[in-house]
Amino acid sequence: MTDPSALMLREQFGTPEQQRESATFGMWIFLATEVMLFGALFTAFAVYRMKYPLGFDEGSADMNILLGSINTAVLIASSLTMALSIHAVAINKQVRGYLLLLATAALGLVFLTIKFVEYYQHYEQHKAPGISFVSDKPQAAEMQMFYVFYFVMTGFHAIHMTIGVCLVLVLALRTAAGSFRPAYHTPLEAVGLYWHFVDIVWVFLFAIFYISGLHG
Amino acid sequence: MSTLATPVRAAATPNYLTSERGILSWLLTTDHKRIALLYVFSVTAFFFIGGFFALLMRLELVTPETDLVSPHTYNELFSMHGIIMVWFFLIPSIPNTLGNFLIPMMIGAKDLAFPKLNLASWYVFMLGGMVTLWAMFRGGIDTGWTFYTPFSTVYSQTYVTGAALGVFISGFASIMTGLNFIATIHRLRAPGLTWFRLPLFVWSHYATSVILVLATPVLAVVLSMVAVERIFQVGIFSTPLGGDPVLFQHLFWFYSHPAVYIMVLPGMAVVSELVAAYSRRPVFGYTFVAFASIAIAVIGFLVWGHHMFVAGQSVYSALYFSLLSYMVAVPSAIKVFNWTATVYKGSVSWETPMLYAIGFIGLFTIGGMTGLFLAALGIDVHVTDTYFVIAHFHYIMVGGTVMAYLGGIHYWWPKISGKMYPEGLSKLSALTVFLGFNLTFFPQFVLGYLGMPRRYAAYPAEFQYLHILSTAGATILGAGYLMPLCYFFWAWRHAPEAPPNPWRATGLEWQTPSPPPKHNFEVTPVVTHNAYDYEGMKEELGLD
Amino acid sequence: MAGQVLSTKSYLLTFAALLALTFTTVMVGYIDLGWGSMFMAVLIATMKAILIASFFMHALLEAKLVKLVIAGALLWFLIMVTLTLGDYVTRAWMPYPGK
Repeated sequence: MTDPSALMLREQFGTPEQQRESATFGMWIFLATEVMLFGALFTAFAVYRMKYPLGFDEGSADMNILLGSINTAVLIASSLTMALSIHAVAINKQVRGYLLLLATAALGLVFLTIKFVEYYQHYEQHKAPGISFVSDKPQAAEMQMFYVFYFVMTGFHAIHMTIGVCLVLVLALRTAAGSFRPAYHTPLEAVGLYWHFVDIVWVFLFAIFYISGLHG
Repeated sequence: MSTLATPVRAAATPNYLTSERGILSWLLTTDHKRIALLYVFSVTAFFFIGGFFALLMRLELVTPETDLVSPHTYNELFSMHGIIMVWFFLIPSIPNTLGNFLIPMMIGAKDLAFPKLNLASWYVFMLGGMVTLWAMFRGGIDTGWTFYTPFSTVYSQTYVTGAALGVFISGFASIMTGLNFIATIHRLRAPGLTWFRLPLFVWSHYATSVILVLATPVLAVVLSMVAVERIFQVGIFSTPLGGDPVLFQHLFWFYSHPAVYIMVLPGMAVVSELVAAYSRRPVFGYTFVAFASIAIAVIGFLVWGHHMFVAGQSVYSALYFSLLSYMVAVPSAIKVFNWTATVYKGSVSWETPMLYAIGFIGLFTIGGMTGLFLAALGIDVHVTDTYFVIAHFHYIMVGGTVMAYLGGIHYWWPKISGKMYPEGLSKLSALTVFLGFNLTFFPQFVLGYLGMPRRYAAYPAEFQYLHILSTAGATILGAGYLMPLCYFFWAWRHAPEAPPNPWRATGLEWQTPSPPPKHNFEVTPVVTHNAYDYEGMKEELGLD
Repeated sequence: MAGQVLSTKSYLLTFAALLALTFTTVMVGYIDLGWGSMFMAVLIATMKAILIASFFMHALLEAKLVKLVIAGALLWFLIMVTLTLGDYVTRAWMPYPGK
């Protein structure tokens, strides 16, 4: 029986080891680009937070801490299931790996659903800049700026989550089809890294949007 | 370079051009060499489109009045010229054509680390280009390539969102390319090919790739924010909500300053190779030149505020950015000195690529020095937003990068096509380009110093003679560019066949047939020589 | 090298720690610390990020090159933030004439 990792070897690589190291190295470089992508948004947020602390704190106090905390827990759990699914495939527990990948995707969908509910709540409360924003607070303009960043940054994050959920579902199908073995599961590792990174981004979004003005 | 002698193969042996046929074998290829040619086709088309807009601008500027086009149309012309030239010609030109073709060969690999990603990058690039062109013709764009707010987000009546979207999409092609090159250079080098045996072409492209992956995402974000502000009318960068237009400039230039190093480092990559080959000597101070590439990439991220000296940033920021801008010139100067030292007392021959290389060194030096003038706060206040700045960056981008691109295309043409090119005609066009370029852009230094603002279609009558000189130069320059377009087409079919190593240069790419086989090397080479070991390889190269 | 996995126990402990830190950041968030509130929120978020990166992403077990990529990305973000904020922070220090 030929080594399944050898069957997957692409011609530009000399050994399966070189291929796997290149693939994960490539994913880490991609994550570096994502750090700069979200970093630019955090930079702009930092500038305005510094200029308008009151308005931004008011905006943050407005956030739904319950839904935000639940979403944080959901994403952390999904990182756990993602890590455990790779662990399962690595010890040749294919079915367990498949189920854990489905769980990861499901948790991701839960996150997106809750996010959508929150967005709708903001819309109903007339806190959706550009669509419907009404506030009689003294720092209404700054609060609106806060909400612009809230929607843009969590929106970028949600797009990344959606892509992640699709990738995880594809990997779940491939796992069910038996594509991965202990000797070869590089796509799982790569997508795993992406998934955990998107979780890290959320952790910081939670901090700056939900926690910073919670005391208000 | 290689300890294995590669036999010269008979013409009937399939090479990367002939091994598969049909349009689909090109559109679905994962061969880095074919993808490079796809990019050659694209960037050439974009170059002439961008050049066409420049021609219209120069025609308008022959007279002081705005009589050929309306002021609004003129705004659209310089915007379209800038956007197309920056994102659809200069940034991809050398990396995606020569870089794609040569990097795997120079490191003894069969392809890049991620060939399918490479093909995807070309499709993404083309999609971005098509969206941008469509936006330009559907609604126009008049914000300048710099998209400054609040004009771009609030006041402009043109199709800003569409143009921004096109550029945004093309940015992903840049990121994919940079990622691919970094992974390839780290992981796919042949046995024995240590970092300090790499050709300087590879070092420079590595530095370029680092900039590509770290800077481009910021452009993506800032353009998205412009689109959001414009679509939802929520002032992220304009004042009603407390937004700051200068913040746009910070984020925009955080990308766009390093972007100019994305545009020039590959040109320097080519020049290092040409200067070594046509002087038959190792590049003087190899290690310094290698580290200078990295230094340019790193320091280049620390200077962006020099585009904002009059924008309203703090005086302390301005002082800091001015100081760092002086420092960033040092590694570039190191390279110029080392190239000069390479040529000095070398065994020099003056084929066309060498003419372009020497042209680069001279013109880049002028461009770089005028950059230092601009880095001085006092001078900048006088000449910012004038033709002085335009002349400065065209000396680097056109006098530098475009000349390096042409030099590189001529140099590696035999390898890429298996044919030679007409040497007499190519020398004539190099000379035409050089003369046309200087006649176009030197008067612009004078214009700028005398006070002619940039992005203006109308001007005081006393400036007319300089504008006439500049337009005359532009016509000659255009002719100089059309000549290679014509003779390369001719040469593809009718020129004599090229041997594997027509220049008798070092480098793994010359150890294969011209054109190369699909997988570059039948057997992975083992490297035992340094990059430009002309002394040690005299016999192998057939030098006396 | 790539292909690392940690034990199930490590992953579960990391998960527990992350939940605990989430609980902590919410509790601390209810206390008014002035500018310290944002500082604490980001600090605890950083701790969570380090846990996720170290254990779920095995960052500490990766090759030196990968660690260099991570360090480089963080450094570049710091450059962007510091120099940009630096402009805003120093604007008041030396106003332009006539301001």
